Amino acid sequence: MEKKITLEDIARILDRYDVVELEDVKIKGDVELELSTGVAIPPSVVQALQSMMGMQKEGISVVSEEKGIEELELIPTKFEVAKTEWNGQIEEVTIGATSADGGTREATVTIGGEKALPFYNFDHQTPHPPVISVDCFDMPISLAKAVREHYEDVMEDPGEWAKKNVREFGADMVTIHLISTDPTIKDTPAREAAKTVEEVLQAVKVPIVIGGSGNPDKDPEVLEAAAEAAEGERCLIASANLNMDYERIAKAALEHGHVILSWTQLDINAQKTLNRYLFKLGVPREDIVIDPTTAALGYGLDYAFTNIERMRISALKGDTDLAFPISCGITNAWGAREAWMKDSPIKEDSDWGPSVYRGPLYEIMTGLTLGIAGGDMFMMMHPKAAGAVKRVTQMLFGAKEAEDEGKKVRIEDWVTWK
Amino acid sequence: MAETEEEEKFPFDINPMYEGERVRKAGMYVELGGQGKPGYELVLFEPDPEQIKDGEVDLIGPDLEDMEEGGNYAYAMIYRVYGEQIEKDLEAVIERRNHEYQSYIQGYMHLNQRAEIWVRISKEAVKKGLKSLKQIGKATIMLFKAELPFIEKMDATFITDEEEVKKGLEEANRIYEARDVKTRGLHDEDVDEFYQCTLCQSFAPTNVCVVSPDRIALCGAMSWFDSRAAARIDPEGPNAPIPKGDCIDPIGGEYTGVNEAAVRLSSGEYDSIKLHSFLEKPHTSCGCFEVAGFYIPEVEGIGWVHRGSKVTDTPIGLPFSTIAGSVGGGKQVKGFLGIGVQYFYSPKFIQYDGGWRRVVWMASDLKARVAEAIPAEMKDKIATEKEVKTIEELREFLQRVDHPVVKGVIREVDGERITEGWAVEAEAVAAPAEVEEEVPSEAQVPLASVPLVASGANTPVRIILKDADISIGKIIVKRKEGK
Amino acid sequence: MKLNSPMEVWKYLPGTNCKECGEKTCLAFASLLMERKKKLEECPPLFEPKYAEKGKKLAELLAPEVREVEIGIGERARKMGGEDVMHRHERTFFNRTVLVYDVWDTMKEEELRERVRKITEWKKFYVGEFLKVDAIAIRSVSGEAKTFAQCVKRVAEETDFPLVLCSFNAKVIEEGLKEVSNRRPLIYAADKENWKEFLGIAKRFKVPVTLFSPDLDMLNSLAVTFSSAGIEDIVLDPGTYPEGGGLEQTFSRFVRIRRAGIADGNKGIAYPLIAVPMTAWMVHGSKAENALAASYWEAIIADLFIIKYADIMILHSIEPHSLIPVRTLVANIYTDPRRPVSVEPGLREIGNPTERSPLFVTTNFALTYYTVESDISSNKIDSYLMVVDSEGIGVESAVAGGQLNAESFKDALESFKAADKVKHKTMVIPGLAARLSGETEDVTGWTVLVGPRDSGRIPDWMDKNWPPETGSKTMAR
Repeated sequence: MEKKITLEDIARILDRYDVVELEDVKIKGDVELELSTGVAIPPSVVQALQSMMGMQKEGISVVSEEKGIEELELIPTKFEVAKTEWNGQIEEVTIGATSADGGTREATVTIGGEKALPFYNFDHQTPHPPVISVDCFDMPISLAKAVREHYEDVMEDPGEWAKKNVREFGADMVTIHLISTDPTIKDTPAREAAKTVEEVLQAVKVPIVIGGSGNPDKDPEVLEAAAEAAEGERCLIASANLNMDYERIAKAALEHGHVILSWTQLDINAQKTLNRYLFKLGVPREDIVIDPTTAALGYGLDYAFTNIERMRISALKGDTDLAFPISCGITNAWGAREAWMKDSPIKEDSDWGPSVYRGPLYEIMTGLTLGIAGGDMFMMMHPKAAGAVKRVTQMLFGAKEAEDEGKKVRIEDWVTWK
Repeated sequence: MAETEEEEKFPFDINPMYEGERVRKAGMYVELGGQGKPGYELVLFEPDPEQIKDGEVDLIGPDLEDMEEGGNYAYAMIYRVYGEQIEKDLEAVIERRNHEYQSYIQGYMHLNQRAEIWVRISKEAVKKGLKSLKQIGKATIMLFKAELPFIEKMDATFITDEEEVKKGLEEANRIYEARDVKTRGLHDEDVDEFYQCTLCQSFAPTNVCVVSPDRIALCGAMSWFDSRAAARIDPEGPNAPIPKGDCIDPIGGEYTGVNEAAVRLSSGEYDSIKLHSFLEKPHTSCGCFEVAGFYIPEVEGIGWVHRGSKVTDTPIGLPFSTIAGSVGGGKQVKGFLGIGVQYFYSPKFIQYDGGWRRVVWMASDLKARVAEAIPAEMKDKIATEKEVKTIEELREFLQRVDHPVVKGVIREVDGERITEGWAVEAEAVAAPAEVEEEVPSEAQVPLASVPLVASGANTPVRIILKDADISIGKIIVKRKEGK
Repeated sequence: MKLNSPMEVWKYLPGTNCKECGEKTCLAFASLLMERKKKLEECPPLFEPKYAEKGKKLAELLAPEVREVEIGIGERARKMGGEDVMHRHERTFFNRTVLVYDVWDTMKEEELRERVRKITEWKKFYVGEFLKVDAIAIRSVSGEAKTFAQCVKRVAEETDFPLVLCSFNAKVIEEGLKEVSNRRPLIYAADKENWKEFLGIAKRFKVPVTLFSPDLDMLNSLAVTFSSAGIEDIVLDPGTYPEGGGLEQTFSRFVRIRRAGIADGNKGIAYPLIAVPMTAWMVHGSKAENALAASYWEAIIADLFIIKYADIMILHSIEPHSLIPVRTLVANIYTDPRRPVSVEPGLREIGNPTERSPLFVTTNFALTYYTVESDISSNKIDSYLMVVDSEGIGVESAVAGGQLNAESFKDALESFKAADKVKHKTMVIPGLAARLSGETEDVTGWTVLVGPRDSGRIPDWMDKNWPPETGSKTMAR
């Protein structure tokens, strides 16, 4: 008849076999779980327990389920996650020179030096917060309304323009774009451009970035002249690029003690190549900053973002060709038509609202997005945008000066906020 | 390449924008070579730099001013180059560039290569001041030296005398033939280094192409020679040498040097590559490959379809584009492989997995294109979409033609049997022995503590069944190995 | 997901090529499973006893590292989570951040309905389609169950969007749930005080539930407890602090939770994450004059967590200046980086072109198109821009790879009836496609001018080359 078998018997029998499956198991009754406190239960165990409980479903009535929940205790666990250690490190680059180093800047700016991804302070504290360089130009240019209203009074004078950027908008650095030197614009001769650079250096005491017009035929001589005029100030020369005689530009930077901006167009391999060329010319590693090109939100930002992320990760994995701080031309965000166009050209679109509100946010989000990817320096235009990006990146960096207003708020109260 | 410089020296504009320029009969001043008259172009390596008169162009035969408008003349261009980094093997690579650079000359059309060249010069160009072929020659030399800085000295001899051209043509053809023979005869074993190409890493971050004499790059653009030249032209560029190191597996094509490079260039994504394997440690692909191979497990064979094939319905039911999606991205994906068309011609074509004996299906247009590469005994055993549409039909076909995969593939290179064939497949895994036990109801079964390993602390979890009725319908077991 | 190739997937499939899934072979089905273009359920044999074991194992192996949770029903249902990688370039992100906008139960009915309509109807055209937002959150401000329920009912009448019911009071949530129990809303939120009641509700109504705690040990415990009670549709809220050190810590929590789930394989916490950029409003205050600053700050927080792992987020500002960039950023970050973004081929008008205006040609690779279009329009050059189908690949690569060739130009000219628009039968091709100029002339019968290699030089090029003289400078006749 029925044989009584203990579980020990079964266990012994089963020991000879691998249990493939248990079919049609019914457990009726109460199941008690006794667990020691303060122990981390691996999820696989929880799952096994859960599936066991699951097998009981048939025998449990709704009432006992509720009772079951009532009797449930919070399973105590500890959250743990591994830290990430990387092999590589980003170069630390200083721009600007004080009198101690033969310049006349009142302060210098240092970027780079990361040993972890941006703001992953729990892996490794980000050594330097990102810096903002606000643009100015050597001639009046057409700007979106939201931007123009801040600069209308200084557009005729690059020195005054630079001053305003620093004094009113808190720029860490100023970029002087020598666009009038472009032969298709005004073809300003190089020596005049050099004078403009001197003017700016007199006007402000922050480190400066010197930008050409982008015209490949003219830039080498313009930047040579500018580099000479700015000797001793350790400026960032923008930029060396594979589509022009980068050798001249790099040599000029080298000769006059400046930092060189290595600029490529959303192409990680071209970036490695250009950097290697610069090494060959003898440019020291601490004199190189990368500009991988910025595409505006909605117009290729995802490419720019992934390009930078990949570069940064590669560098941290040990690729020394890419281990340099990254500068982003965030002003490009204004190329998005949503940033400046009055209304949508598409009839079916919902209303776009006033353009003055859209543009600055486009600039902010373009900048912040690339900052999360690895941007160390942002070249920006709209003062509010620059201020906002500065503020949030300071917080992510962990600046002690950043306010802790947020902590004082009981955040769960957002649900009942009026 | 400053534009202004050239305009001063030459009466014609030189710019890449003229690359696709066509000169039509109506606007043509003269035609050189082409279908009516003999023609050829040759680059020769001259080991003694003293022999070369740098920048100079000699002309044998009539010059442009002596030619009749609308006429067709013979044409030969022979260049001599010297450079410390140049060797005889690079002649062909340099020579191929003649077409590219001469196309930059406004009013000068250059089509085809070697002994097929077809050149036309426009009336416009002559009107603008082009008087002599020597000007063309000088401009060409200037372009070569600007673009290929490893050329230290270069001169040219242009011939338009028909008899001289015909004489030279025999010698030129011998040179072309010798080169082809040498290329075909150069194998992985013969060289010390392979070349890497990381050009496509912009699109596929962990992809590294290893280019060897027996394995052309999968985009089809770079042979071992091309890569060698490219590495010399631009050592900072995407091509660089990979020292082979020791050969770990001569059949699969695995080398210590290549493996080291793989780790480095793929950022550790993978650590070994077998150059001539399909299934094991295959070479990765970016998205540029010309041909996609896919494994058909039902027949243990491999199928191939190329980009742009008219055939979209492969027996596995996936078109090229979907297969391409699985293969690309620079990851080693088992069962798929991207290659260049020329690899079909390689003597080591996937030899690790049986080479052509493992190929069961090809898109018909692809099969026709590489017909010469297919060994005679396999030609009729490889199905196309014309013979079979489904896996079942493929099976029947392969059985009918007695394809090697049916009985088991024997690797040609070493005679080893690498697949078992189909017959053996039926032998399945041994069915688990069933043991039925029944635990009667109403047994009070206290369960001993079952220690479960927890991460960190080794704390037991006790499951206590209180007043529990347990019944188990069936316990299905399988005999443990070795007991 | 733990599988690397269709072959590995194939091993678990029946291998009979029965075609019930609609594919010719099991290998084809395997390929599509990996790309998430097909579901395991589409292979009925896998659920029969013979293959059930394999099917179960396959389901486990195919399951994304982060659990996928769905809210809403029908066409409007939205999936959250389901992610496998920490960085989009490692493969792709699969489910874009679900954007939820709030209403609250103390709103007047008309105001409420209007706001719901606005959220539901908002749209913006972008790369070939109209972007919309995803869901609506209903907040219990009154604290009254009946008031909340009535609000929920009204919202449900006004929209088919998925809903998020927000209150820490279980009774309020329960009342609200009764109105929309068949619409699979997300309930927000269980915390260390009320979790038992929320657990009960989640079980009874079978809805996804949010767990809230900025203390990660507590959050982990809640997740493990709920999971062991049989609830798997969980969303985690580690608390979004809007400023200062709190923001830095929030960032840290999001990254570490996601890392634990994907990189460390800790299933206990591998659930979708919810961010609440709306907390920015609490800091800036509700006065009208602070609204702009608050909306900006909210967008900034949204930016951070769209990139760093928020699978769903709750926002307040429905002003266009907030909606447009936030929704666009989601679209950008969540495209599949392996597929080039392309625009619709066609003939575009820039400015006010006439039949004598130039006709520029470019590819339909989005980046190229935007750049070229922008260069031409910002220089106010009235012209036509013909966008050729190059399979979404940029000029240089497409010329090299053959996707852009003389035939492409011919097809485009014919499909878009370019000859009806311009009388001069001249087209300007990109400088990087110079190689194709002669052949294109032969094939189309049009005159081909080779433009600059960089579209930024177009104005320059126009000065020298337009309008063309008969017997143009660049083509020998």
